Amino acid sequence: MFDKFLLVDLDSCVRCYSCEIACRQENQLVSESKSRWCRVFTIGPRKVDGELHMDFVSVMCIQCDDPPCAYFCPVDAISKREDGIVVINEEICTGCKKCQHGCPYGVMQFNAVTQKAGKCNLCLSRTECGIEPSCVQHCIGGSLRFVSSHELEEIVDGKHLAKIGRTYYLSSKWKLNPLEF
Amino acid sequence: MSKIPCRKCGHPFSTEKTYQQLSKIAHQKGLTNIEEFLSLCHECKLGLFSEKIVGIDLEMVPRTKPLPSRRSEKLEPIKYDMRLGTTVYKTECFSCNQGCDAVVHVKEGRVVKVEGDVSSHITKGVLCSKGLASKEHLYHKERVLYPLKREGKRGKGSWKRISWDEALNTITFQFKEVEKEYGKEGIIFATGTSRGWLQPFYRFANAYGCQYTAPGTAQCALPRFTGSTLVGGTRFLENPDYENTRCMLVWGANPTSTFPVKGRGMMEAWTRGAKLVVIDPLLSEAASKADLWIQLRPGTDAALALGMLNVIIGEELYDKNFVEKWCFGFEELKKRVKEYPLEKVEQITWVPKDKILQGARLYAKEKPSCITVVVAIEQNADTLSTCRSIAMLAALTGNIDIPGGNLIQMPVKVGSWLEGDIALTDKLTDEQHEKRLGSKTYPLLAGKHTVSFPPSAFNYDVWQAILAEKPYPIRALFCQGSNMLQAYSNSKMVLAALKRLDFFVGVDFYMNATTELADLFLPAATWMERDYVTCSDQVSANSAVLQQRVHSVGECWSDLKILNELAKRLGIGDRMFSTDEAFFDYLLRPSRMTFDDFRQIGLIELPWEYKKYQKNGFATPSGKIQLFDTKLEGLGFDPLPNYREPTESPVSTPELAKDYPLIITTGGRSPVFRHSEFRNISILREIVPDLYISIHPETARRYGVEENDPVIVESPRGKIEGKASFTWGIDPRVIQVPSHWPGKSNVNLIMDNEHCSPMVGSAQLRCQLCRIKKGKGVVR
Repeated sequence: MFDKFLLVDLDSCVRCYSCEIACRQENQLVSESKSRWCRVFTIGPRKVDGELHMDFVSVMCIQCDDPPCAYFCPVDAISKREDGIVVINEEICTGCKKCQHGCPYGVMQFNAVTQKAGKCNLCLSRTECGIEPSCVQHCIGGSLRFVSSHELEEIVDGKHLAKIGRTYYLSSKWKLNPLEF
Repeated sequence: MSKIPCRKCGHPFSTEKTYQQLSKIAHQKGLTNIEEFLSLCHECKLGLFSEKIVGIDLEMVPRTKPLPSRRSEKLEPIKYDMRLGTTVYKTECFSCNQGCDAVVHVKEGRVVKVEGDVSSHITKGVLCSKGLASKEHLYHKERVLYPLKREGKRGKGSWKRISWDEALNTITFQFKEVEKEYGKEGIIFATGTSRGWLQPFYRFANAYGCQYTAPGTAQCALPRFTGSTLVGGTRFLENPDYENTRCMLVWGANPTSTFPVKGRGMMEAWTRGAKLVVIDPLLSEAASKADLWIQLRPGTDAALALGMLNVIIGEELYDKNFVEKWCFGFEELKKRVKEYPLEKVEQITWVPKDKILQGARLYAKEKPSCITVVVAIEQNADTLSTCRSIAMLAALTGNIDIPGGNLIQMPVKVGSWLEGDIALTDKLTDEQHEKRLGSKTYPLLAGKHTVSFPPSAFNYDVWQAILAEKPYPIRALFCQGSNMLQAYSNSKMVLAALKRLDFFVGVDFYMNATTELADLFLPAATWMERDYVTCSDQVSANSAVLQQRVHSVGECWSDLKILNELAKRLGIGDRMFSTDEAFFDYLLRPSRMTFDDFRQIGLIELPWEYKKYQKNGFATPSGKIQLFDTKLEGLGFDPLPNYREPTESPVSTPELAKDYPLIITTGGRSPVFRHSEFRNISILREIVPDLYISIHPETARRYGVEENDPVIVESPRGKIEGKASFTWGIDPRVIQVPSHWPGKSNVNLIMDNEHCSPMVGSAQLRCQLCRIKKGKGVVR
């Protein structure tokens, strides 16, 4: 159990895709697995208030407070740990894909190699040893950070902050939209 | 079971039954607002999620606070990872040609992981997508692991495995045959960006007495190195000091995609509030972060730079003390820039006057400021003027070799990757210089007196020599590390030339469009399979770093070993090296170290010293910054920078522009590929599966093209196919086509390589003419 949080700073994502590939390597998500736990999306370019804006955001499981995927799982393979991380018990998972279809964010993936559901668990095998997640380490723009609540206060610095599930989003530009189910 | 289509994209993704089951559960559990998402495919859900987080409410807050420092700084490199049970090798990633600190985890004789090195204060632990996919590259099922000899007709794809001995003996025999009939001119060497081994490659060719060429050089690196060296005696434009800067002028570059180490530094500075000015015709990743984005007409960079110089001189924003003490030719330059009033510059560049003013003022006033340039400024009608005028911005504002400016490389005392003496350039005879293709027309590319780069042959003339045997025939080619058919402009001409050769050797990792045409294939080692000493000012201008071999696959040899062993057979062994280590010992000589010593320490790093020019002046003829260039004057060239309209443009060829009304700018890079490399690595290719052509939506609709439609781009030289990617971040009169794609998507098929930039011979890849139309069916 640990008390650090994933912070996604929308300002500094530069769409370098390091997080995507770091994630695939760390979690052995080979091409054949058709699983991509971490994705980079582009918003725009779009005109807002007469100016062009293009933003990028790295999307992975937000570790919902009340995870819908757990509701949809017919065998109760999905649970939420005390520290808020949503985990899948692969021994129980039957690979029925219901959680994947039910996840409103699209972050739950079906691994075509292992035939099980899978998604970001904040690199538990790293983070439990005090090592930050691989996407965070390799993030070139510095958009992904693994921070304690104490550090968080310091960096927010008047910027817009939204907490969704167990994940923080930060922007100096967009008033963020904390949506959750 | 009937599949139901995604409500947004129409892609079938789920069954009616699943949907109903989930709907029911959602309803029972009171998850009412989830319904909206259940009818979307996973891809659209992800997209909608990201859009929803960001929202549409804009409210800017100033950036002032840096994010917490990365966990790197305080860490020591480890040798054994207890958690993973792996042996850890600290080395240098050479997935591209830069060299980033990386660690490779090895378990039971196999590489299991490649990561950034968290103990490195140069990279601070980051590594790009290409580096992170290195394992996929190393063990790729298509990698060629043994020397191959062609059987049957050229290009038929029939190969036979042979020994290295047989391969090298064959080359020796064939080279001697060609030499007998055509002399040394009958053989040419070619390379691409290389992976650090450019010096030994040049050395080998020079020692053997043959010329060499590359798709880059004139189109990449040489003009900007030459430009800043002519102005200030060193390649100072390569080393922006992001750590201490207040303002970053990023000119035709997108460092986070192409130079990850620079990108990291740039974004760190940006996050703490340093200003960012980006000059790019396309709204790139960097431009999207910019405080000021200057969207110029492709190929007009020199006019813009001269306009900015005009503002800086006219408004007296330059560093008067520095100019007085350290600049030569200020009055002449002052007179020249007066020919570029902002009204005229606006007309040429399409950049509104105000923005030019704003950009010039920001750069000059927010001192210390640094400039970042890469390849985009080197592919227009006068690349030397472009590079020189940009270098002069740094000079006039006194932003050279000060903290936060552009730094002069420290003397690391390790042979740097382009030094002429290692390449044996000084041993060449006048006759050899004169015979080099292009030496008369492009003296600073191919002549005796090149600056900052050993001389190499002009591309177009090389193909002419093969095809038309003028001025002499070239019959054999040794191509090491270049997919020539994708990398050189005018690919049709390259293809015809390659087919006409008597003997062609390709050194590569994979069989590709180019090596398929070879007679012999030699398998090269990846960066994980070789040692090296890397000293590249593109990554860190004050250090040299160890690269160590961690693993070997098949019979792949390091590029250096291939050259050394071939040299022994060709009778030039005494001028190359007995082993790889012997070469490293030679490189390290100035530091009085052997490679074994260096292996122990892994890093040579010098503390930064600033204003080094105060000791011995600048390494130019006058010892000062050369605003007026006497060397160019001596060669009969304009000693001052000037703007030259692209050979093909709405201004210079209005008749042609009636038929081909759009400007095509090529070469936008993707972060997951390096030039022609890595498109066969599936986890990278999934990110950018096709050639996406950036088009303004209004332009596309005028031609009846919708987003993601196949689109055909035609130039007077032919046509290619790609997919339309709509962006409002491009001028409606311009399209941007990424380069280096294979087959029908290869934009180099339609780019001219004959009308090149004076002195340095750069093809105008950023500014030619084209038209588009809707394509049929699916691309490829």
